[in-house]
Amino acid sequence: MTTANERLIKILSGQKVDRPACICPGGMMNMVTKELQDVAGVYLPEAHTDARMMADLAKAIVDQGCFENYGVPFCMSVEAEALGATCTMGSQLFEPHITGYAIDTVEDYKKLSPMDLESGRAKVVLDAIRILKEETSDYPIVGNLVGPVSVASSVMEPTRYYKQLRQKRELAHEYMQFVTDQLIRFGLAEVEAGANVIVISDPSGTGEILGPKYFDEYAVTYINQVVDAVAAAGAKTIVHICGQMKSVYDKVAKIHSDAFSFDAVVSIREAKTQLPDKVIMGNVSTFAIEMQNTSTVEKLARSCYNAGSDIISPACGLGMGSPLENVKAVLSTVRTFGE
Amino acid sequence: MIMATKEELLQKMSDYVFEMEDEEIADVCEEYIEAGFDPLDGILHGLVDGMNRASEMYDQEEYFVTDLLLCSDAMYAGLDVLRPHLPEDASMGESKKAVIGVIEGDTHDIGKNLVKIMMETAGFEMYDLGRDVPIDSFIEKAKEVDADLIMMSTLMTTTMPGMRTVIEKLKEQGIRDNFKVMVGGSPISVKYAEDIGADGYSRNAVEAVEVAKKLCGVE
Repeated sequence: MTTANERLIKILSGQKVDRPACICPGGMMNMVTKELQDVAGVYLPEAHTDARMMADLAKAIVDQGCFENYGVPFCMSVEAEALGATCTMGSQLFEPHITGYAIDTVEDYKKLSPMDLESGRAKVVLDAIRILKEETSDYPIVGNLVGPVSVASSVMEPTRYYKQLRQKRELAHEYMQFVTDQLIRFGLAEVEAGANVIVISDPSGTGEILGPKYFDEYAVTYINQVVDAVAAAGAKTIVHICGQMKSVYDKVAKIHSDAFSFDAVVSIREAKTQLPDKVIMGNVSTFAIEMQNTSTVEKLARSCYNAGSDIISPACGLGMGSPLENVKAVLSTVRTFGE
Repeated sequence: MIMATKEELLQKMSDYVFEMEDEEIADVCEEYIEAGFDPLDGILHGLVDGMNRASEMYDQEEYFVTDLLLCSDAMYAGLDVLRPHLPEDASMGESKKAVIGVIEGDTHDIGKNLVKIMMETAGFEMYDLGRDVPIDSFIEKAKEVDADLIMMSTLMTTTMPGMRTVIEKLKEQGIRDNFKVMVGGSPISVKYAEDIGADGYSRNAVEAVEVAKKLCGVE
């Protein structure tokens, strides 16, 4: 019997398997819903700051038959907060999010302290991974990272940041290198703690925002540094990029990750045609999972499969109000493909 | 020195916005004012013209979000020079009012900022509530300024339901029909907008202006 872990690793290694894997990484791609919190008896926002609770909530995803992976954290603010941004922990329904910036201009990165991995939420995440590694088997443990552009544009005001990518290019690159070095440290620590798959989501570093030239210069360059570093430490890698890819497919193809994940505006068929040699993950509409019924969700999961998706997953983070039966409908459908 | 004609200066202002020249544009605007030309024409046929050209390029995927942000910097730099010279009673026509913000729980405001810029360019009077905006603030502000339009955005699936809540609260208060409601943001779709009872949805900032004009009966 192939375990879920073996299946995912094989897929990410480009090997043939019985059926697609079905995962939801966590991080930006949130998989915790209100109903899941109720069933597990573990609640947000407390679980964002407590390793035991974080691990238990991650376990509940697998135990409840939602997805075939563990994954932490459940937000995309750990890195930026550790670099000095002000962050609220949110509530049971709102994710933690950035409310204040650490610096006003790219050159001020010199005032930032390196990410402290021995305290705060970075430590909580690493401890949660260690607990999962200790107490579970058979399922992959996903360590999530927020991508370099998204972290950089959370530590400083994004409009200013985007402009300075062009107006202060050299300093912007120095800033990006600093951020990327911190992400590499955190990523390597996640791998060392027991994560065997690293998912990097960079929703603010899209082709639509940056355009092809700057997407290449900033997003691709620094995402690759992170990918290469964690891959060298033995982890498999998945990169999630938001928005339309049409203007940047040739640039996306330069990213070294083992797989790519796109949101719902990208059709799997198109992605498969444009990136023929790549493993593609996606992309059941999270809107459908939250608002429609199970039969629609099943239909969408099937159409991802028919379009050639190698790893079937929600297209984005799950809405907190998503009914558990809809969430479970993705995996239960994917399971039938192996029969 | 040969004096530049009004048309030449307008063209230059338009070009500088289009080419993201946020420093030299102030000089051209000064020159335009010193020559005694009409400031309102300068805004509409110079600065706004350049911004409109930029948005056409955006539609054609030749310009991207960062390009528009830099163009708008140049436009605002020009506006800073021209605006003080507008006569007291000058207005750019009867402008429609819109309240805009990013829904509670979300602080991603780049798209919202761009919509606001494009709406201002199109002559709307914008009331920007910022980001992470509590549900009730949208409604209070819209009532306070007697807005024509409420615009909400979010980039996160987890915060989408807040948009529905705003619309439901407007209904509860019996004032739903006083405002047009538009929603946007990457996880939002036409279908979602319809489901929650919004009047309009747009994929991007340029399209948002078209939708807003249609909803408010402008042009």
